[in-house]
Amino acid sequence: MAHYTTSEATLAQTLHKHYARNQRWGFMWALWTAILWGAWYVPGTALWFEHPYVDIPVDHQSTRLAATAVMTWIHAITVFFFLLLWNTVLGKVKDYGRTMVRFRKISKWYALASLCGGPMAIFGSYMAMGFIGPVFAAISSLFYPVIGAVIARLWYKEKISKRAAIGMCIIIFGGMVIYGPSLFGEMGASNPNAWLGYVGGIMSAIGWGSEGAVAGRAMDVSDPDVGIHCRFSFEILFWGLLILPVLATFTDLPIKDLIIGTVTHGKAMLWIVLAASCHAYCYTAFYKSFSLIGVGRGEAIGNLYAVFALIFIAAFTLQLPQWYFIVGLVLTVLGSFVMFSESAESVAQLRDNGDINNGDTNSNTAKGLL
Amino acid sequence: MKLHQKGFLLVTLSKNNRLWDDELIVQTFIEYNISGDYCEKTLRIALDELSAAGLITRVEEKLEANNKQAKLLFRYQLSDFGRARMIDTGLLNG
Repeated sequence: MAHYTTSEATLAQTLHKHYARNQRWGFMWALWTAILWGAWYVPGTALWFEHPYVDIPVDHQSTRLAATAVMTWIHAITVFFFLLLWNTVLGKVKDYGRTMVRFRKISKWYALASLCGGPMAIFGSYMAMGFIGPVFAAISSLFYPVIGAVIARLWYKEKISKRAAIGMCIIIFGGMVIYGPSLFGEMGASNPNAWLGYVGGIMSAIGWGSEGAVAGRAMDVSDPDVGIHCRFSFEILFWGLLILPVLATFTDLPIKDLIIGTVTHGKAMLWIVLAASCHAYCYTAFYKSFSLIGVGRGEAIGNLYAVFALIFIAAFTLQLPQWYFIVGLVLTVLGSFVMFSESAESVAQLRDNGDINNGDTNSNTAKGLL
Repeated sequence: MKLHQKGFLLVTLSKNNRLWDDELIVQTFIEYNISGDYCEKTLRIALDELSAAGLITRVEEKLEANNKQAKLLFRYQLSDFGRARMIDTGLLNG
């Protein structure tokens, strides 16, 4: 009997360690997301100061938007190659092919996620960087975890514990402290097109929030490394076969010149490659964290990107952020730590499975949301 | 074309009531003609992810003495939610 009790205790201890390790990995991936995402704003903004983008006058709204579309597309292609390298090293290229071909039932979710993440979030973020600035772009999408968590809760019943909800509220409050003053005209007053930057900021928040929840559905049955590769493959196709050809054909926007101008300017390509390397692995870490700690938590910890973005921007521009940015960032960090302190076992099972009795219930909820 | 590996793990579980992770790993090794520690770890992570997502449930666990270190093994079963998601994603006929 004593031997049995000892074995049971050892098993319980090993199980706890196992869950704790999974949770730690999930949060670690989410933290990497934050670091690399924060770093992305430096090359992403620097790109606007290189040819051909620096040549576009500030008041040429449509050309600047077309330029944003072109840079987002070239960025996506570069990300694709970084992911190809990643999956080649991991030996997952064959699985990428096997997942891509199942479009009707699986990879279509990645296609939808790519629409949320690419033409909405990344495009919106480049808009915010181009029309207002990197600090605003970085802070404007701080709300995205809430959108992701709410969709994940409604759609596939992902649990949001009381502690996670408190953490999210603190993060949102932190975001409001940062965002608030800009809404009262302290930022962008001298730029007549600043509203496009604000729109871009909102697009990025909604885009990234919904992307996590949509991609999560496909990731239930597929590999996250492969999933992110599928998602960028579809983004390339959307821009390259649909959006940019339509713009080039039906408008007089200089799409072709912008593409040629970008790929033939070494410095522009250097910034794109740097931005893409950050984004490729930030996204990989993002998707991996979803699988282990859930969309809501992954996105909330990923939200620390704002802290890293401000640190990187301050380091490269030697300009210190405003005092209210610091207050907001302290709150954001605090909120993330509240979420991190959740017990390992509660993170191990993310879904309220008892609420879902059959596929119809789930599908109907999904249809309702989409 | 073969199923992607996570899909194969789910389909294999759906055909059997309960399976130990070691049994699942052996079947996957045979199906994809792969082997080695790295592939085994990758598959265990995939099973952790499927379990965290609630598609499969751990119905039993045991410690197995393996050289110096005790190895934690899990016995898995497909959950109702996993079955529903498999039907949604075309891995199982409704």
